[in-house]
Amino acid sequence: MAMAVQTQELPILRKVRDLPKEEYYLPGHRTCAGCGPALQYKLVAKAAGPNTILVGPTGCMYVANSSYLCTPYAVPWIHTQITNGGAVASGIEAAYQVLIRKGKWQGKLPNVIVMAGDGGAVDIGLQAMSAMMYRGHDALFICYDNEAYANTGIQTSPTTPYGGNTTFTPPGELIPEGKKTFPKDPPQLVIGGHPAVKYVATASVAYPVDLINKVRKGLNVKGPTFLHIHAPCPKGWKFPEDKTVEVAKLAVQTGMFVIYEWENGEYKYQHKPKKYKPVGEYMKLMGRFAHLKPEHIQKTQAFVDARLKAPGMPVEIPIPPPRAEV
Amino acid sequence: MAKEMMLSGCAAAAQAVKLAKVEVICSYPIRPYTAVMMELARMVANGELDAEFIHGEGEHAQLSVVYGASACGARTFTGSAGVGVTYAFEVYSPISGARLPVQMMIADRALDPPGDFGSEHTDAMSCRDQGWLMGWAETPQEAFDNHLINYRVGEDPRIMLPQYVCQDGYFVSHISGKVSLPEQSQVDEFLPPLRMEHRLDPKKPISHGPQIRPDQGDVMDLARAMAFLEVPKVIREAIDDYGRIFGRKYPPFVEEYMLDDADMAIFIQGAHALTCRHAIKRLRSQGLKIGMAKLRFVRPWPTEDVAAALSKVKAVGVVETSTSYGGAMRGGNLIHEVRASLYELPTRPLVTSFMAGLGGEVVKIEDFEYMAKQLARAIQQGKVSKSVHWIGLEAEG
Repeated sequence: MAMAVQTQELPILRKVRDLPKEEYYLPGHRTCAGCGPALQYKLVAKAAGPNTILVGPTGCMYVANSSYLCTPYAVPWIHTQITNGGAVASGIEAAYQVLIRKGKWQGKLPNVIVMAGDGGAVDIGLQAMSAMMYRGHDALFICYDNEAYANTGIQTSPTTPYGGNTTFTPPGELIPEGKKTFPKDPPQLVIGGHPAVKYVATASVAYPVDLINKVRKGLNVKGPTFLHIHAPCPKGWKFPEDKTVEVAKLAVQTGMFVIYEWENGEYKYQHKPKKYKPVGEYMKLMGRFAHLKPEHIQKTQAFVDARLKAPGMPVEIPIPPPRAEV
Repeated sequence: MAKEMMLSGCAAAAQAVKLAKVEVICSYPIRPYTAVMMELARMVANGELDAEFIHGEGEHAQLSVVYGASACGARTFTGSAGVGVTYAFEVYSPISGARLPVQMMIADRALDPPGDFGSEHTDAMSCRDQGWLMGWAETPQEAFDNHLINYRVGEDPRIMLPQYVCQDGYFVSHISGKVSLPEQSQVDEFLPPLRMEHRLDPKKPISHGPQIRPDQGDVMDLARAMAFLEVPKVIREAIDDYGRIFGRKYPPFVEEYMLDDADMAIFIQGAHALTCRHAIKRLRSQGLKIGMAKLRFVRPWPTEDVAAALSKVKAVGVVETSTSYGGAMRGGNLIHEVRASLYELPTRPLVTSFMAGLGGEVVKIEDFEYMAKQLARAIQQGKVSKSVHWIGLEAEG
């Protein structure tokens, strides 16, 4: 006899004190001090709770988290190739749909969460992510963005900002800025062309309540959802490990990272600064931009200004235009 | 009562998948295997089969989807051909390493370049060392039976390994043959529901596939190797049960055809064995003492069965429908393992190989007659003239 498949309703929080005390991403892993991705992982796991299956494509959050017979995950977790997080999650969701329908597993449909880095989400993993979004699987795909292939020794990824110094984009006499191209925009890739997707949001480790609520909203929506989480990397971006939250906040305050949610075609903004600070204030905190000349910072400022005015990114009140710090 | 139907290899495979009550299927189109998915899509659409049918975005995704689904304890099916098989390569070892009993049908096809729809075993043979069971069918009936036998063996708690169930593109996949379809109750008796001890289940959290240190890798490789040592026994049990329940009794690993009094043997796998049988009958009528040894499993390679079958003859001709460029015997893949299997025999037959059926070429009765002539000459001269003959492309000498 076919059984109806039921999904969960996770409550939305008002303040950080409302957070459940239980942890599902436990201490003892081997991430660097000040690791942004580890911080967001803890918050995501807490938000999702016990009826969850985590899908972990290769990346820092695989390599630094799971050593043999040693795991920080208190809910089921499966490693996938860096290429195929979205596809494996699709298979997991499909399996639970049919197992519940056939009465072979009792309970509400588990939360299926892909925890992919920027490479596993929008570079080598883009195809699998997009297909999961297109097919309408009831799963949440998270891109924890530390803006580089950090685990392999800080190589450029499609979300590394223009001018970033990575081991594949070293600045030199002929290429003074290091990285020459501008980054991909993960949430816009999802919003622009996946009709099954009803909820996409961005979040930052600097704003934990907002992050947790977006995880829960994403999980409560029936169908595929996408979360882009800004997760600074002290080692890769070259800043002191006690400055992770400060760096994350300045990214938002300068418009380098914009926090919003897109729900059924409507944009809503959170933690939007009344007045954007110049991008230079953010960039000067990090060694990865230390080689840049004023014209490179100017170019970044122009990119950010244009993005803030881009279609699909409406502003509700007039915001004073940012000025480059020269 | 079992009923008989005329089915192509693809349609026969789809019937087996349906009777196996597969739960998650992932498709992607590529000729010639596509027709199995067309059949299954139709069965799911009209309610004949209660399964999730997922449109993969490529073969890599197909294998990834069934990796995830199998890890949750669902019975899974996927398939491919040619460059599709090689596109998915990354995911084969993670599946066997995770000991997930995924099943993949390969209706084989030549690899590019250039684009060639023809059947050739190179696509599947390139994957033979990935920790999967692998074997070919000669007819749609054998394909049907192999799908059920492979699920039973792969899902056995002593084994837990994935399976490539292969059939020659077009020669089997697209040519209809008589297939006896059993009752659901017979299949249910033969194939119990999949039970996975370590599945992804929020009620019993486990971590699946963590990183290991180099000194832990060899232990896991050994575990997979040890599982493979158990496979032959489990295949024999399954074949016995299959014969008992369905009334069709296969030799588990090597089918011997007119081999008992033979001087020479053709060693072959897959569709061309059908033509080979006819050629052998004709050659026998001409007074030539020739037989055939048909291989049913490449993985696990049945070393003892191959040695036992071929120890009876003075010369062996290995029909190669795959390439191994720069290999020890300068031709295909099978001859290496055939020769290795014969090494311990007190008197070894002469062994040569015939590159035949590459790119989808038909291997004709005359081609087998040519092979017999080469083997007869080798016996007469007491040695093979060369280790590889390219059928139809070499000057007769």
